[in-house]
Amino acid sequence: MKKECIAMLLAGGQGSRLYVLTSDMAKPAVAFGGKYRIIDFPLSNCTNSGIDTVGVLTQYRPLELNSYIGSGQPWDLDASTGGVHILPPYMGSKGGTWYKGTANAIYQNMGFIDLYDPDYVVILSGDHIYKMDYASMVERHKKTGAACTISVMEVPWSEASRFGIMSVDEGDMITEFAEKPKEPKSNLASMGIYVFSWRVLRKFLEEDEADPASENDFGKNVIPAMLAAGEKMAAYRFSGYWKDVGTLESLWDANMDMLLPESGLDLLDETWPIYARSVNAPPAFLGGRSHVSHSAFNRGSDIEGTVENSVLSPLVTVGEGARVSYSVLMPGAVVEPGAVVEYAILGERSVVSRDCHVGGTPEETAPEDWGLTVLAPDCHLAEGTRVRPGTMLGKNGEEVSK
Amino acid sequence: MKGLHGIVFSYEKRNDLRELGEIRSASSIPFGGRYRAVDFALSNLVNAGVSDVGVVLHGPYQSLLDHLGTGKDWDLSRKRGGLKVLPLFDYQKRWGGPSAFRGKMEALAGIRSYLDTIRQDHVVLMEGDLVVNLPLSDIYENHLRSGADITVVCGNDSFQTENGTYFEADHEGRVTDVLYHLNVPRGYRGLEVYILSVQLLKELVDDCTSHDQYSWRKDVLQARRGPLDLRCYIWNGFAAQIRSVQEYYDRSMQLLDPAIRADLFCRERPIRAKGADKSSAYVGPDGRCLNSLVADGCNIEGTVENSILFPGVVVGPGATVRNCILFKETAIGKDAELAYVIADKNVDVLAGRTLMGHSSYPIVLAKGSVI
Repeated sequence: MKKECIAMLLAGGQGSRLYVLTSDMAKPAVAFGGKYRIIDFPLSNCTNSGIDTVGVLTQYRPLELNSYIGSGQPWDLDASTGGVHILPPYMGSKGGTWYKGTANAIYQNMGFIDLYDPDYVVILSGDHIYKMDYASMVERHKKTGAACTISVMEVPWSEASRFGIMSVDEGDMITEFAEKPKEPKSNLASMGIYVFSWRVLRKFLEEDEADPASENDFGKNVIPAMLAAGEKMAAYRFSGYWKDVGTLESLWDANMDMLLPESGLDLLDETWPIYARSVNAPPAFLGGRSHVSHSAFNRGSDIEGTVENSVLSPLVTVGEGARVSYSVLMPGAVVEPGAVVEYAILGERSVVSRDCHVGGTPEETAPEDWGLTVLAPDCHLAEGTRVRPGTMLGKNGEEVSK
Repeated sequence: MKGLHGIVFSYEKRNDLRELGEIRSASSIPFGGRYRAVDFALSNLVNAGVSDVGVVLHGPYQSLLDHLGTGKDWDLSRKRGGLKVLPLFDYQKRWGGPSAFRGKMEALAGIRSYLDTIRQDHVVLMEGDLVVNLPLSDIYENHLRSGADITVVCGNDSFQTENGTYFEADHEGRVTDVLYHLNVPRGYRGLEVYILSVQLLKELVDDCTSHDQYSWRKDVLQARRGPLDLRCYIWNGFAAQIRSVQEYYDRSMQLLDPAIRADLFCRERPIRAKGADKSSAYVGPDGRCLNSLVADGCNIEGTVENSILFPGVVVGPGATVRNCILFKETAIGKDAELAYVIADKNVDVLAGRTLMGHSSYPIVLAKGSVI
């Protein structure tokens, strides 16, 4: 079955900078924005862009992710030809290996891609929050006749050295690429979203695989090799909301952005819906003495206390007299009566028992001591526990250093 | 094959539902912030392991068909069995008119060939307008154990419901009388949930058809009680029949009681519903929302108290909504004031409007109206 364009979504990374949140699940499965998981964004973008065939490359702790994706039905990706496919590393008659790098993950699945004989392959990663029309990027790719098109966005010059930076000519064709340059020549950062002409990419993947010195990574190896070989490389400018939620701070920031439509992250816009697999639960109940302000919440939640400037996932409980502010509560988190949670991320099903105090405000904490406070999924605090700002607790309540 | 088959009836015209019932059958009336009435019957069945369900339709069933789809949301989209919608075959019959089904037996006679395809040996008959969370597998076991011909599920009250059926029973649960059109209801309130064998059902349908009998209550329950052993199963939990605006309003408001919610939405038997692709609900910096059920995608900048908000309701700044039920995507403009209002889908209440009903007569705003 020929498809003009398919997508490959790299979802195998551990997301080690999310620490305890990803100790038992892959990063793309981490809850975001109340009702979503990170992977909902690329999957919904695919379906909204008319891409109906998506390979999801998994490796690290895939259970949660696999069961979340399931048949792909919530994203309309349960088609009889195409649809979403989970692609783990595999053994062959001559052995097999883990995915050694992003490029190797695609290399190992060339057979899958060839099944659809696509002209173009879109490479996505599972750790970005953004709404983007891949179809218009593919359109530019076709128009320029490039072998590879990389989506880029302008970042502040001061931050440019944290990204892969592209230099472009007047036609926005890429002339130079530098990974995290100390002295950036441009402020156009790669967003880690690529469109390749499959025939060209296939050749470079084979060459890359044959090179024992290569780290088999798109950014480090394949893109520079293509540029060096004189392949036509186009930049595709993107200007909407885009955030890499690879760190605890950026994950928290992006959740807070969701509360402000001015941030550019407008999830209410139904012309480009983000789909999610929803839990089955009755609507949220806000009690007679609750106080909810500037906060998002979801079904199955029972809120009797105070919630300010926070994002609550489904099935969250906030007891009477409890106070939650500037925090992100993941599915099933419980804050018992009288407890206080400030500037924190509470993992799935974590329990903050009565009269606990988790985290603190930057105003009331010495700047060198302050930071986000994080509880691992299933962490259960005993009554009256004080968790200092900036601390992170594992599943069994042990302190984990960042 | 042993087991239960479900038949859900969704054809009665309920005039007392006023604007809410004009555009849809009672089965597809929105309830509880994100459900349709029929979700309860279907979930009750599915939670009891029922895999095959027929839904008997008549009247304006477009809304119900749209809601049911392939039955996927209840895991009833199956290779074998699953959900079957059974619309009336005779298009001459006008909904609510004198020539619609005269009774349930006539409706069943209309799907007589379907009855022959049922794979299971027992059947549960239910109405699509019943909001309840019954342990149907327990009731089924109870039916088998009791040796009854027909098990009649009753609420433990004589609550007045439009055109309700009431049962009197002896201390062993044997039905001693079947009553309807009561001026003052007495006995146990029938929930119109019945379990019997498929064999018996087919015999009854054939026998009634050949005698031009059509009423389940009169021609089966009343006329054949005695020869048939009818037993009550008394359900002590929440059970609402949605047959009038008043009933709809009162029963909806009961959901604000946590004990009622715990009973109706118990975790072991989840009520499944079609998902809405809305984002999270949001209360703004100056919004206030107390003692209310709020579905996904609501945006509250004003004040909401003692209300039920379906997905995507918008309450503008300065607006006040008290004791209201607002269906999907209703928008309440700036500084508007509403009390005791049921707003159907996509109602637009413009800025500064005031609408005050009373608990004894809630105002109903028809779908899509602009105030």
